[in-house]
Amino acid sequence: MLLGASGSKAGLTVDLEVATDPTKTGDAGVPHGNELLAFATAANRRSDVLPQARAALAAVVGHEGLVEAAATVAIFNGLVRVADGTGIQLDPSMLTSTAETRAALGIDLFSGAANSQDAPTQPRQDAAGVMGMFS
Amino acid sequence: MGNAEELITAALDDAAESLVGPGDWLTGSQRRAAALEARDARTNELDQQRRDALSPNAVPGGHEATAELQAEAVEVIHRVASDPGRLTQVWADEKMTVLGEETYTELVGIAACTAVLDMFAWTMTGDDSQLGDDTAGSPAKERPDDVGDVGAWVSQTTGTGMANVSRSLSLVPVTNRAWVGLVQALYSRGAEFLDLSWDRALSRPQVELVAARTTAELECFY
Repeated sequence: MLLGASGSKAGLTVDLEVATDPTKTGDAGVPHGNELLAFATAANRRSDVLPQARAALAAVVGHEGLVEAAATVAIFNGLVRVADGTGIQLDPSMLTSTAETRAALGIDLFSGAANSQDAPTQPRQDAAGVMGMFS
Repeated sequence: MGNAEELITAALDDAAESLVGPGDWLTGSQRRAAALEARDARTNELDQQRRDALSPNAVPGGHEATAELQAEAVEVIHRVASDPGRLTQVWADEKMTVLGEETYTELVGIAACTAVLDMFAWTMTGDDSQLGDDTAGSPAKERPDDVGDVGAWVSQTTGTGMANVSRSLSLVPVTNRAWVGLVQALYSRGAEFLDLSWDRALSRPQVELVAARTTAELECFY
């Protein structure tokens, strides 16, 4: 959910529906969004079109950009499994700050939402919120 | 190779080494076997049937024990690897009753690290990552003192300063070290995570766009 916040910081108008719904087309308001989304979708689906998506992405963001995109797809494949496998709850700050977005995008319908039904909504003492997740 | 790529490659190498070495409660050969089961889950027929079913519980049968792993351990690896979005606490509790929560958590970590290594290799080359031979040695068998119930299915560090995802594997320190190394190198990079306009080959919104599509594809609530 840092897409919206980082997009605002960059002065972008990010379309979260396009970002999360593969049936929708467009760049989601992010530079080279078409290539990034095509690459992420092809990678996660282990699609035969991945080589073309990889080449198209590298053509616009370069090799280092491709590496960053591949790293992002890869680590989130791990994060999903760790989060769902250990049944962690959504952090208090995330639970409250993303409520409207989750509802609008249908994310609350995902099975993993059950883990956070009784989660606390009061911020922890650190008050670092979302930005304290990995720092 | 740029600095970022070097950082990522080093973390991937460390994680690959950890996957075949002595772990928290599993030996190197058991961890390697578990990693191979995680890889098998992509094409395994039973896993495929479960993924296609309205509920994975609707498909009869289960994974059998192997020379290295109990049947329940094989089940955990395959389900976490192939269908993580539909795991339930009831299912996890059943597995932990047999395996113990430490081994269950270590298996989750192995499935996650294997997914990272294989997905990165696949996206860049179209092949799986390379797993080396297992290395000898005894598991650490160390349960940290500062773990407890923080609302997850497994015990985690109880301090108030950590986000849930950051402490998710804290019950198993050996596995957690490799995992945190991956997260730091491939995504957060320490204090850089706080910078919404970081200076990388991809801007922050570009990275978060890839992350958003990935988690949506995998139907992850978190």
